[in-house]
Order: sequence, then C-alpha cells, then structure tokens
Amino acid sequence: MRESISKPIQRVDGSAKISGEAKYIGDMHFENMLFAKTLRSSRVKAKIKSIIKPELPEGYFIVDKDDVPGVNRMRTVVSDHPLFAEDNVEYIGQPILLVVGPERETIYDIITHISIVYDDLEPLYTLEEAEVKSSVFTDYHYDKGEPDKAFAVAVTIIEDEYHTGYQEHVYLEPQGMAAEYRDDTMFVYGSMQCPFYAEGALTEALGWDAKRIRVIQTVTGGAFGGKEEFPSLTACQVAVAALKTKRPVTLIYDRDEDIICSTKRHPSIVRYKAALNQNNDVIALDVDVLLDAGAYNGLSPVVLQRAIFSVTGVYNYLHLKVRGRNFMTNNVPSGAYRGFGAPQTIFGTEMLMHNIALKIGVDPLDYKMRHMLRRGDPTCTGGKIRDIVKLPEIITRVTEMSDYRNKVQNNVKYKGIGASLFLHGCGFTGNGEQTIQGKIILKKSGENVILKVSSTEMGQGAETVLRKIVAYSLDLPIEKVLCEAADTGLVPDSGPTVASRTTMIVGGLLRQACLELKEHWDEAEEFEVSRSYKHPDFLNWDNDTFQGDAYPVYSWGANVAEVEIDPVTYEINVKKISAVYDVGMPIDETTLRGQMQGGIVQGVGWATIEVMTTDKGKLIQKNLTDYKVPTSMDIPKIDCEFVSNPYEFGPFGAKCAGELPFVGAPPAVAAAVSNALNVPIYSIPMTPEDLMEMDSHEN
Amino acid sequence: MVDGFRPVTLQETLNIRSQYNCTPIAGGTDLMVQKARGFALKPGFEQPLLFIGHLPELQKIVIKNNQIHIGSGLLLTDLLNSEIIPEIFKEAVRLMASPPSRNLASIGGNICNASPAGDTLPYLYAVDAQLVLKSVAAKRTVPIDKFITGPKQTDLRKDELLTEIIIPNKTFGVNYYKKVGQRKGMSLTKAAFLGLADCENKRITDIRIAFGSVSPKIVRSREIERTIVGKPTFEMITAIPEILAKYALLIRPIDDARSSAVYRKKVSLRLLEDFLRKIDKEK
Amino acid sequence: MKIEFVLNNKSQIIEVDPARRLLDILREDFGLTGVKEGCGEGECGACVVLMDGKAVNSCLVPAGNIVGKSIVTLESFKKTERYKMIESCFLEAGSVQCGFCTPGIVMATESLLNENPNPTEKEIKEGLSGNLCRCTGYNMIFKGIHLAAKRGKGLW
Repeated sequence: MRESISKPIQRVDGSAKISGEAKYIGDMHFENMLFAKTLRSSRVKAKIKSIIKPELPEGYFIVDKDDVPGVNRMRTVVSDHPLFAEDNVEYIGQPILLVVGPERETIYDIITHISIVYDDLEPLYTLEEAEVKSSVFTDYHYDKGEPDKAFAVAVTIIEDEYHTGYQEHVYLEPQGMAAEYRDDTMFVYGSMQCPFYAEGALTEALGWDAKRIRVIQTVTGGAFGGKEEFPSLTACQVAVAALKTKRPVTLIYDRDEDIICSTKRHPSIVRYKAALNQNNDVIALDVDVLLDAGAYNGLSPVVLQRAIFSVTGVYNYLHLKVRGRNFMTNNVPSGAYRGFGAPQTIFGTEMLMHNIALKIGVDPLDYKMRHMLRRGDPTCTGGKIRDIVKLPEIITRVTEMSDYRNKVQNNVKYKGIGASLFLHGCGFTGNGEQTIQGKIILKKSGENVILKVSSTEMGQGAETVLRKIVAYSLDLPIEKVLCEAADTGLVPDSGPTVASRTTMIVGGLLRQACLELKEHWDEAEEFEVSRSYKHPDFLNWDNDTFQGDAYPVYSWGANVAEVEIDPVTYEINVKKISAVYDVGMPIDETTLRGQMQGGIVQGVGWATIEVMTTDKGKLIQKNLTDYKVPTSMDIPKIDCEFVSNPYEFGPFGAKCAGELPFVGAPPAVAAAVSNALNVPIYSIPMTPEDLMEMDSHEN
Repeated sequence: MVDGFRPVTLQETLNIRSQYNCTPIAGGTDLMVQKARGFALKPGFEQPLLFIGHLPELQKIVIKNNQIHIGSGLLLTDLLNSEIIPEIFKEAVRLMASPPSRNLASIGGNICNASPAGDTLPYLYAVDAQLVLKSVAAKRTVPIDKFITGPKQTDLRKDELLTEIIIPNKTFGVNYYKKVGQRKGMSLTKAAFLGLADCENKRITDIRIAFGSVSPKIVRSREIERTIVGKPTFEMITAIPEILAKYALLIRPIDDARSSAVYRKKVSLRLLEDFLRKIDKEK
Repeated sequence: MKIEFVLNNKSQIIEVDPARRLLDILREDFGLTGVKEGCGEGECGACVVLMDGKAVNSCLVPAGNIVGKSIVTLESFKKTERYKMIESCFLEAGSVQCGFCTPGIVMATESLLNENPNPTEKEIKEGLSGNLCRCTGYNMIFKGIHLAAKRGKGLW
C-alpha cells in the first residue's frame, strides 16, 4: 500500500519547461507557413462605410467576413460575436480582417495602409448608462422563502452598493493559434483550455463535420479562463485563412493587442438590501447584480449564473430575492476569468456582512459566523448542503495562525487585520455536467496505461494530478502512466478544463475506470475502458426556475489578511495572508499549494494594484507599463493549510480547488484595509488615491 | 543607405554626429520601447542608429576637484556598484525599472529622455548637476535645469552628445527619498520626493528639495530653499504650512493612466511635510 | 552591419540590421526558442538572457549593442552543473507551473547567484523583481532559488 496520494511528486512536465525545451505555439514553425495580423476597429461603435485596401503584393491576402464558408460567428453559449466584423463594429479593438503573408514587415506595412471609413453611432460607455437605457443581454432572477414579507417585518433595513473592476489575465504567453489544411482535414494548433470548444466553433465557421477538423492544444503558458472561449475566435480566423491561402497560417498576438481586445473579468455593481431582525441577524437579502458584459454576450450568461448562485456566500439567509443582469456596453467583451462571477458577488456579500458588523459594533468574523451554513441547510436555490461544513474548524485554525483575535482589537491606525469566509461550487453550474456528458478513455497498453482525456495542462498541474490518480488507483509507478495529447482526433470530449472540475469530475471518471481496468487487467495486453459522466440521482436542478442543486458539492475556505498602510502615501502593503481550505483531499500537496498561492496573489492584485478603467470606450491601461500585476516585491507572506474532508464522490475524496483561493483573498484584504483606516470599503481595487480621499473625509 | 554607425572613439562619434542625421542610442531601454512595433518585429527607427553605449570615454567615473565626473554611458548597475556615488542617489537608482533593465540602461539615457518622471532627475536637480555636451567643434557645460526644457525636450543640439555629468562629491546630513510607484517593483513613478539638508548647531545650513513626476519639469526652487536656510531646525514644524503653500503653487501634476493630479499633489506635499518633520527632530 | 559576438560560447559573425532585437536574432536566426517574448517592452522578463554574465531584457537590446559581447541562453546554460542544481530544486519546490516565465527566471537566477551566491530572501526578491509570474505567486520560486543557493555551495 502506497503512502497518501497528497504526498507531492515532481510534476511530470517540469523538466521540459525549465530547460526551455517545451515548445509553445509562438515557437513552432510549419513548412511554408504564413503570418497573420489582425486589423481592428478604432471606433467604439460605428457602421463600416468602406474599407480602402492598398494593392497587395504577390503572396499576400486579406481574409474577412466574405471568406467564411460557414457561419461568421464565434460559437459559444451565445454565438453573437462575429469572427470578422460585418456592417458594424461595437468596441475598440473588434477584429475586422486579417492580413496574411510571408513577411511580418510587409504585413505591418499593409495594415498601416488600410483605411476604413466609419459612420460613428451612439455608444454606451458605462454600466450606469446601460442601466438607464436598459441595454440588457440577460435578465435572471430567483427567490427563496418569502422575501417581501420578511422585509415588511424587518426591524432594520440596510442598503449598500459594491463595485468591482476589470481584471486582465496577463497569462505570460500571449494568445496564439495556427491552422494547417492538409489531407482534407483542418488542423488547428494553439494555446487553449478547451480543444472541443474550438472544434465546435470550427464546425460552424467552416460548415464542416467534426471528422474533418482536428484541434490540438500546444503547451499553454497560462490561461486562468482567458483561453476558455476566446481561442474559438482565433481558431476560426486562422482556419479560414489557411483555407483561403492554402498554406499554414500562424497568428500570435502582441501583448498590447492582447490586453486591448481579449476578454476580461466582468466589472460589477452589486446592490444589497438586507433585512435585519431584532437581534441584528440578516433574515432576508434582496440582491441586484449588474455585470458589464461588454459589446457581446458570449458566455456571460453562465458567468451571471455563477454570480447569482454565489451571492449568499457561506451564509444561510432564510429569504432571498435575487436578480442578475448582463448589460451590453460598447467595451471589450467580458468573459471567463478564474472565479467566473463568484468573486464579484462574494466580495459584495463579505463586505456587506463586514460593514453591518461595524455598524452594530460586533466583530465582523463573529457576526459572519452567526449566519454560517451547516450540513442539512438549504442552499440559496433550494438545494441542500449534503456534506459536513468544516468552517468552524477552518476558522479556529486560521484565527490561530494569524492571531486574529488579539490583533483585531489592536486599534493601531494604518495597521489592519481582516477575515473572509467563502466557498466555490464544484464543477459546472446547474445542468452543465449533464449537458456535456464528459467522457474518458483509459487504455492498457502492455505495462503502461494511457489516459485519453481532453483536459488540458495550462500550468495548474492537471496532467500530473490526473496521471497520479490513475497511478495510485492501479498501484503503478507514475512513469508507466502516460497521457495522450489533448488532440480532438485522439481523445474523447471529457468536457472543458474550466469550473475547477478537472480533478473532481474527470479525475473521478478516471478513478472509476481504473477500478474496472484493474478487474480485467490480466485478460489482455491491450484494451480500453471508457466512462461517461453520470449525474448523481440525488441531485436535482431545474434550469428554468433556477431551483435545486446548482452544484453537487462545495469547497470552503477562510482567509485572514494583514495589511499596513503607509501613513504618508496610503500605499497598501499586504503583509500576510493566512489561509485554510477544505478541498476534500489534496491529490498533490505541492501542486495544490501552487494553485492556492497563485490564486491568492491574483486576488490581492485584483483588490489593490490591478487598475483597469475605460474612458469613452477606450482602455486607459493598455500595456504592461500601465496595467500592473504583482511582482516579486508585491507579494504577502502566505501561510496555507488544509483540513481533510474527503468527498464521497471525488477521486480519493478530492473536490474543487483552482478558483477557490482567488475568491477568498480580495474580501480579506478589503476587510483588513477597512480595519486599518476605520472606514467601510465598498469597492475594489483600493488604490492609494482612493484611500487618501476616504481618509481625508474621515478627518 | 547606411543602417547604423558603430564608431570606436568619441571623436569618431562626434564626427558622425555632425555629418549625418542619426539617432544616438546607448542601452536602448527607452528608445527600443518607444519604437517597438509588436511580436517578432524590429523597432521602427526613422534614422540610422548611432551606437554610443560601448564608448570607453563615456564609461569613466572619477573624482576631480571635489566633484564626481560620471560618464554618460555608465549603466545604472555600475552606479549602484560604485563606491563613489552618494547613497541617496543610489536609493533612487535602485528603484528604477528592474535588474535586467538596469544592466542595460545608462544615466545619460535617462537624462536625455527627459521624462518628467525620470528617476535620476530629482537628485541631479537637487545637487545642481552640470552636464557636459560635446560636439566636434565645441564643448559646453550646462546646468541640468537649463538642459531639460520641457517634457521629453532638451537643449541637445543636433551635433552634440552628452558625455559627462558632474555632481558635487558631497553627502548630506539629512537624506530623504521616496518614490511612489504603481507597485513596489518595476514601476514608473507617480510622484517622487527628494529632500537633502545639512544642519549645524541646530540650524539649517543647506537644504535641497526636488519633486519628480508632478510637473512638466522637475520642481526645485532655490528661492524657497534660501528662505529656509539659516532657520532653526526646531522651527520646521511651525514653518510647515508656509513652506507647503509655497511649493503648492509650483506643483502642477496631471491625471493619467497611472494616477490622479489630486493624489500626486497631496502626496508630494505630505512627503515634504514628513521631510521637514524629520529635520525638526535633528540634533 | 556586420556584428561579431559570442553566442553560447561559440563565435558568430552575422550581417544584420543593427536595430534588430537580440530576442529575434536568438529565436529566429539561431532557432533558440528557449527565450520567450512576453511583452516586447521590457516589462515581463520572459526574454531575459545573459550578456557578459548579467541578466538583460533581450527585447530591448539592438544588434548593434551585442558586438564583442558574450550572450548565453538557456540552451547552453542547461548543460552546466549550476543548471542541474537549479532544475532539481525548482522541481522539488514547485517553482514551475505554466513554464512561460521559467526560462527568464532561470537566467535571472543564474545572474543573481553569480553575483551573490548566498542571497537573503530580500535579495532574491529584488533580484527577481524584473520577472513576472502569473501562476505561482512567486513564493515557490523563491523557495527553489533559496534551495539551490543552499545546496549549491561551491557551484557559485
């Protein structure tokens, strides 16, 4: 019997990456390949009157909407984003056409000589404007209990509004995609999370059967959701170009370009009305969630769903009235980003609870603990918390680690400590897993076992973790467990690598398959076992009324942040984050810690230095000189621990982990800043500019 | 068409400078970014480049007549490793860009780029740095505040090269430098404050104050400094409102992608106040 | 312009536009794709290589400035004992996730330890302050470097 699966092993793709031998799409050459560059809209909202193109030198092409054999739309949840602009453009940076050819210099030259005549139209610049004009893509709502009655008898009603801003992924490897048409098949290679999403998009754009399309993920240098749906756009664009030019075409984004036009985290406004009883407990919550989806809806409806299903955080409110809307503005489209709507509403709810506590003179953590969910409680959508909730143990541990109880009473100005409690729903929201029906294949091949899954390694350690699950299940050394490339021609659709589902759902299917493989091991040298996702019987979900179990299970956490604010400049120094998580069971502790620390630092960035604003549809911070992510000098000390809480239906007890650490950090940092300056916090990012302004009003 | 010049000596360089339209380039950390055109593309320079970073004549650093002569080609890393350069200047240099950029960037480049946010500038203004400009025919020495005429504008003539920066070989008793950036590492400056002072028998004998990034040019006022010299150190706290009010008229920052005019002004004056309080405590 | 320089311990003479970036010379002309382009403006460190033993952003170096210099990339550094120590410590400490920042970080680490074989945590942070990483949150990278400095006594 082997030691615990949590004991770390060396990640399987480490050496290739450290030695520089791993090849990313920008490193790859195809014989006879052409380069492509995108010409983009310079207007916020306009009709394209005419495009004046220079005479093209031999071997150079322009690829645009007229070259798309199938549907000129990027297929995703709502397929509204044109691959190449048609009559109108709806945001600065919207792709209009590609210039394709053998020399980059010449392409650059051609692009600068293409001129477009626009007729400007009236844009919507902000969420506030969109609300006034009812520029709504999606409008959802659900209730729990009897909120109207509850508000009628409330002793106190508190109203608050919270704001969160854009966030750009800044995966170190910019977007990149290449396509080659040969053997009657369109091969598409690139940096991506979801090869089968790209395949689906390509079937529509080309009008071809999936049998003639092969999408192959190349080594992906970071993604965080930014390469979930967006690559479907570039995949279709290069495929169309490869078809037209009859040569391989590669498209690699400049960093500035990537920042300006790729999808971002949805900015949000979340409005709360809380009904308090005579004990000052929140008995009813009325929440209105507004997300800025930008110019196209894309997969924003699912982001909105997770946002509204996370709106109660870890709390049990008896009565709820929840509304969520995606608004259309003429800004760059918003899309998937680690947390996927939950960070916005959990930030709001955590700060609401924190601020109510301040108003009534109770310690915020104690106040939050009065409302915590317990096993058997209903979820916000009338589902059930079926598993033990380890929050009390988590909180005890995290307050010990941080000495929260002593420090929170210190009352030293400019030094603060604050806590957050949070969860993350594991796997796809609602019916998602049933709709995808993820499938895996496990193949015995002599002494080796080969995993055939569409899950992609993007740095998070998926390949290592999935191979480890199989190795431990079959009691094989990891070297004998191999992973087939994420190539739609070689693997089944296990579902996309998103929603923190890979370890729990795909790993879960692999574990089941291992048990079957083991049974029949000696029967043949080569054979395959396959498994498809089966939704547990005890879970119910009605996608029309949003009632039932939005998620099969949750991972939980608590963070305590300690900050020091420079009394002269108001710069925030996040000194330490103490974190305790319940992710069921760590499959590899080093890999898991890497996710926790990375997620925390991204969360700290979003809450403090990652400022991204727009002015009349123009992104103000549009390169890495102006958009700042944390450097080695900006990070807090991080202490991270896990509590064991094995999940019956997860492989070795594992639940979800990738997005959870991002969710917890921003509200903890905001709570600490609030404690340091004795002011309530209503929005992030919290900049020195904001804090100086806030503090001067207090003085 | 010549694609670039790489002369061996300074004399050769100045000859070329006088004969051709060319762009002098030392480390390139500003120019290569300004002219960058995207993935895998070379930068778009309109004129042939004149490489000067390697010229030995620009690499010297010597003390002569109680002045430090710094070659304009000296790398920021070299300044940090030099025992001659005053520590307070090193504090400013240490916070510039990042180690791999400091291994390329020259002090001359930072001066000639003349950004209002140039990090070497507050110190150089505060110590009345003199700049030596050479051409084939002539040599002139110009004070830095006359050399930089506006944002990204200098008095450098078409045939000239900045060869030397002369600063006094002097350290001060009270030293205060603060760079407010967008984050702690690898950041442009939102506002910078430099304060230097000498005190004797509880009187201020010398004081220099400079602000960076908060006006089209570095803010320094010898006039205001003269009103402070001679005052007792323990009067500084009471003098704060008056001194701040005078500097408030000179600080004219802007809103941009990195910060706001309101914040930049407030933080500059708060840093000045903090400096004056520090002097007040001087023995 | 004729440019004479040393690349990975081998003398080279190339005829090239002196404005061409060292990054492109390495990646395209010499096929050394271990060097990455993350931003092209000196803000991410993915393009860091060694020039005369010091870390530099190769996206900012024009060809005219490499004359007479010795450039070392990961392709040759990976053959050294120092690299093997860094690699094993990085693997143990979990210093690598997506890997795109890693080549630049390895070269920056070599530059740091070459200058300072026993860096404090503060010195490691400062030495790496020109390298962005979006995946790890940095702590596990520092751990890897610290381990390499400790175990690599005598190497640097």
